[in-house]
Amino acid sequence: MNGQLKGVENLEGTHLFDLAASARALRLNRFLHGLTVPAKRDLFKQNPDAAFEQASLSAEERRMVRDLDWVALIRYGASFFLLEKLGRVKGVSNPEIIAAFRGETLDEFLKTRRVPGAR
Amino acid sequence: MARILGGIGTSHVPTIGVAYDKGKRSDPDWAPLFAGYEPVQAWLAKKQPDVLVFFYNDHATTFFFDHYPTFALGVSESFPIADEGMGPRAIPPLKGHPALARHLAESLINDEFDISVWQDLAVDHGVHSPLTMFWPPAPDWPGRIVPIEINVLQHPIPTPLRCFKLGLAVRRALLSYPEDLKIVVIGTGGLSHQLNGSRAGFNNEKWDKQFLDLIARNPKKLAAMRHADYIRLGGTEGAEEIMWLAMRGALSPRAKKIHQNYYLPMTTAMAVALFEEPVEKAVKAAKRPKMAKRARRSRAAA
Repeated sequence: MNGQLKGVENLEGTHLFDLAASARALRLNRFLHGLTVPAKRDLFKQNPDAAFEQASLSAEERRMVRDLDWVALIRYGASFFLLEKLGRVKGVSNPEIIAAFRGETLDEFLKTRRVPGAR
Repeated sequence: MARILGGIGTSHVPTIGVAYDKGKRSDPDWAPLFAGYEPVQAWLAKKQPDVLVFFYNDHATTFFFDHYPTFALGVSESFPIADEGMGPRAIPPLKGHPALARHLAESLINDEFDISVWQDLAVDHGVHSPLTMFWPPAPDWPGRIVPIEINVLQHPIPTPLRCFKLGLAVRRALLSYPEDLKIVVIGTGGLSHQLNGSRAGFNNEKWDKQFLDLIARNPKKLAAMRHADYIRLGGTEGAEEIMWLAMRGALSPRAKKIHQNYYLPMTTAMAVALFEEPVEKAVKAAKRPKMAKRARRSRAAA
């Protein structure tokens, strides 16, 4: 156990990205990282199944990406910062992803914010 | 010899860069953020630093988890703007300072900070999202940068104390650079925010204000804290604050915070703090003859 992190396990609703998560989701994260490369991004936009096939994603990995199941993706071990790139490609904003993590609609989430227009 | 004029701590949320690119200066939702950077921009315009040394983190953009460096130094002539999923921002590539960066690599490694080095790789919003707010790139960047990447994504990440010590080592390196360069040191990231789980959207204004006070007055107290403390107080991504600690370590204990702004509109607390080093005219004048005497003595010995 990393002594620097002792106590974090008691924080509710927190998924720390550590080496275990990184190893578990390496293939998925590598696919998401590919979205920074225009050719791979275009393939995903035009033919997601071909892009999934190229990245050898499992059936569940494909489902989570296809459905933009943010909660399942982050639990699985996707890095938020790679989900952010998926969001950009799919036209989903960070507040929408954060709202999904919280189990809220975007409007519900924005009501908890000081400046809902600042997005 | 190179001189450190001061330092800047700043958040690096991507929306800061987006607000700049979309020209939202007079949008009431964004005006308080722009206003908070104006004194920083004015200070830099007056001080005219040659180089900004950046402690920042990549966001699994340029570096991937097949090899994620703990500390990595950019040593090339130029750094492209990264594509983070929508194509790069329409700003010029950043100009590096290879001679200073090579000196930093040598000095850090001889000082037992075994940092990785990289060339030509792109930098993401961890550097340029806040940068455009205080160093406008029109027609081109006013100076050069040396980027130092810190892993704050994949635990284990370096401890707060280690980052403070990195700052101390960077200070030793910069002050031993023979050319007369004016340098400002920058740390980006934070303040409180969390971007995962049902705790996402967590903020803690009280802790943020305390952090802004301690980073100026008592950074050693911040350096002694554990990551678990930062995460409990400021959210999982609040851990980015260790890059402010590296910046603070590169400044003298007497550096003074002369400006700060805090704005929490949405998910991430956006802060900026400007530190200035005291001008050491008297000390310099006193040191010069001594150094000359030492030089004469060593010449005589030779």
